[in-house]
Amino acid sequence: MTWQTVVGLEIHAQMSTDTKMFCACVRETGSEANHNICPVCTGWPGALPVLNAAAVRRAIRAAISLGCQIQPESRFDRKNYFYPDLPKGYQISQFYRPYALGGEIHFPREDGTDAVLPLVRIHMEEDAGKSIHADDQTSRIDLNRCSSPLLEIVTEPLPMSGVEAANCVRSTREILRWIGVSDADMEKGNLRADVNVSVRPTGSDPLGTRTELKNLNSFVSIQRSVEVESARQIQVLEAGGVIRQETRLWNQEDEVTEEMRGKEDSPDYRYFPDPDLPVVIIEETDIERERSSLPETPASRRVRLVEQLQIAPREAESILSRREYGDFFDAMMAAGLSAASASNWFRGEVLRHLNELELNLDDYPLTAESIAAVVKSVEEDRISVAKGREILQKSIADGRSPTEILAETSEQVSDESTLKAWVQGVLESHPDVVDKIRAGDARLMGFLTGQVMQASKGAANPRKVQQILQRLIQQS
Amino acid sequence: MSSPPSLPPRHATVGEVTRWLGEHRCSARQLIDGYLDFLEHLGREIGAVVETFPEQARAAADQSDQRRAAGEILGPLDGIPFTAKMNITTEQGTSDASSSILKGFRAHEDATAVRRLRAAGAVLTGKSNCDEFAMGASNETSSHGVVSNPWDRSRVPGGSSGGAAALAGSHGWAFHLGSDTGGSIRQPAAFCSATGFKPTWGRVSRRGLIAFGSSLDQICPVARDSEDCRQVLQVMEGHDPLDATSLTLDDETVQPISRVALVSEGFGPAIDEQIATAVQTAASQMADQGIEIIERSLPHIEAANACYQVIATAEASSNLARYDGVHIGARESSKDLQSLYETSRHRGFGSEVRRRILLGTFVLSAGYREAYYTRAQAVRDLIREGIDQVLEECDALLLPVSPFAPFPIGERIDDPIALYACDILTVTANLAGVPALALPCGFDASGLPIGMQLMGARGSDHRLLEMGSRWQQWTDHHRALPDGGAA
Repeated sequence: MTWQTVVGLEIHAQMSTDTKMFCACVRETGSEANHNICPVCTGWPGALPVLNAAAVRRAIRAAISLGCQIQPESRFDRKNYFYPDLPKGYQISQFYRPYALGGEIHFPREDGTDAVLPLVRIHMEEDAGKSIHADDQTSRIDLNRCSSPLLEIVTEPLPMSGVEAANCVRSTREILRWIGVSDADMEKGNLRADVNVSVRPTGSDPLGTRTELKNLNSFVSIQRSVEVESARQIQVLEAGGVIRQETRLWNQEDEVTEEMRGKEDSPDYRYFPDPDLPVVIIEETDIERERSSLPETPASRRVRLVEQLQIAPREAESILSRREYGDFFDAMMAAGLSAASASNWFRGEVLRHLNELELNLDDYPLTAESIAAVVKSVEEDRISVAKGREILQKSIADGRSPTEILAETSEQVSDESTLKAWVQGVLESHPDVVDKIRAGDARLMGFLTGQVMQASKGAANPRKVQQILQRLIQQS
Repeated sequence: MSSPPSLPPRHATVGEVTRWLGEHRCSARQLIDGYLDFLEHLGREIGAVVETFPEQARAAADQSDQRRAAGEILGPLDGIPFTAKMNITTEQGTSDASSSILKGFRAHEDATAVRRLRAAGAVLTGKSNCDEFAMGASNETSSHGVVSNPWDRSRVPGGSSGGAAALAGSHGWAFHLGSDTGGSIRQPAAFCSATGFKPTWGRVSRRGLIAFGSSLDQICPVARDSEDCRQVLQVMEGHDPLDATSLTLDDETVQPISRVALVSEGFGPAIDEQIATAVQTAASQMADQGIEIIERSLPHIEAANACYQVIATAEASSNLARYDGVHIGARESSKDLQSLYETSRHRGFGSEVRRRILLGTFVLSAGYREAYYTRAQAVRDLIREGIDQVLEECDALLLPVSPFAPFPIGERIDDPIALYACDILTVTANLAGVPALALPCGFDASGLPIGMQLMGARGSDHRLLEMGSRWQQWTDHHRALPDGGAA
């Protein structure tokens, strides 16, 4: 008998708002412990939560981009449990009436085909703080993260492999980043996933009993935990055992899943509507405002680049890999470059610079407009390609604008008679080389071009020099 | 220019004291000194006062006098003393909600209501005693001890705002901030012969009110008369960016109340006869003044108290989870986390608070939630609709505040059901979120105060208070003081 693995995901993404979900504290976990806290996020007596409108706007963007039905009315509930990093004794979440229902995540199967994972819902909630358990038997609490805004994306179960489960989370990460909703950085803990795994005989319809693996914080752990847990379940079932519905822990070091608690021990969270927060009303105009300010999706941008602008798919991929790359490419075109030269210069120069300097595009010193000005000079034959590249490089090194350097650069000489004089001089002093070329050694053309460029002190238009050289050698 | 030092009579309302100050018949400093003297002596004697702030209050009074001399007073409450209940946070002193678990807790921050009043020149003079976390109807659950009713010191002042009402019932010049979750301002006001007002839910910011049942709680004034409550409300009310449920309601322009319905359930067999008679007499006095009196039944009022007990305790069980000994709340040393929680909470909370937390946890638990919490919410909707319907036929409802007179200290404290019976006529206003005004309307044969209440539609706060002021122009019940110091 063969087995099929079925996976459902709960993806938690911290939203990249300036402030926390229900107070004005800076959302920044990097600071000194317990630095960004206030009476509201630490649950002081008398303090009340006030919903951060910027978090709702981001949540709307996520729901639009994942194709959810946004609910005109939703509300917050309290999830009650005791834990030291939860100072109010409850987490504010959306249990009964989440703001978004349905939706889907598109992800690649292992064979490269596209697939769709349907969503159950997305809801907004606040994060807990952090407990740091030290070796000296003490535990320390850092509440900087406490009450940071989270989205929880809950999917339906779907047959898939561990690699595909990781692909789903990866696709979600790309969308959330693309639309500016979350930094979705697993290393920093602002993207985490819980994975529900079950197995069933291939061809069988009902789902098997699932187990839940909590708080997976890397793509490897998502992939491997699904693989290891489904293998464990198959082993149990094949030995005639039964799977218990339970929460299990993923042990990354030993690559095993470990028992944590059974369904019967699962806490009773005693959810009820939070009386401190009014119903969240999302109007059609709120949705439209977010929709109209959403960036072009990767899919529609790909169509535009490849089909309309005729950029080769492989070239398009590097421009599409990050939203800001495509934006920069568009800005180069808006500054007057053709799609082909914007693509060539972006990939050939801009990406090379970023790579060499280990920079993000945000920190890149050159503007699309100034690069376009240099490229136009090249295309109008006023400077050579090499000169153009040199100007960009120099601009980065000197911190001066390319246009300033461009203005100081003497234009290359394209005047026919001047060039001809230089070329004739070179031909006369290298008759042996000319003979060899005539005998068929075309490689030596480069040597002659170089000699002419030297004679002109770099001012000659190399393309024209080559034309004249060719003509004169063939003529005589 | 200024007249020789003399002070207003003890029963004087805030409005009357404001005129004294305006006519320079006394200074704010003299007033505050005199009021502090009252708090330190009688106030402490009856257990109503927990803390006073003499230095800060005198400094604030001096500033008020300077403003007045410069012709720059901040409004009618400038220089007027007030106190805040122990469950309302203040920058000065402690705010422990009369609970051992918060012993010594300093909020270092004024509740929005307190901040607005101080910005209007009112002078915070002290903190008043109350039931632990406002849970109680007799002020007997307080970690600061019981409060005596100024009219009969062997009896309770009511609760949970027992200290605030006892102060208002025994002396004028000032107003007091309490809170009302199920009757906590109105019942002690009735027991102590003071005027107490519970605003529409959301009218006054709850920021700084230590939560009990959030969907029911409101900060409330208790004072000598309805006009004083109106002045205080006017300063406190309005949207607060720190409370998402707070509202700005504008009801200044509506017609005065002209038709009042007696609520038949307020005069049934469970209600003390002398109380019923006093309220009916009040109704006929209103009728004499041209108010149309009709009689109506309030649907579902018999279910209100059960509904209230479920919702209030459910919310309390969650609101009080934060007192866990880890962040906030006295920590008991323990071997592990579980026992830290258990010991800290067991020792920190009194038995009534523990009972309500347990009850609230139960009604929200899987398997019981539908039968209790969900059903109570459905009943709450019916109660709200019922009162809305009746209020379409009249401007206000009239009924007694308490079904019985102030009872002896110790009589009901060990019988929670008997204690919860105090709330049967008051909880409806909290469940429906409507405003309710408690007004003194006489005394029974033993000389114990009787209170009646007017309830109106959501947002009709100022109409109710205006009706209260008219009633108090026609009658003198509110001017009486325990030791015969009436006008």
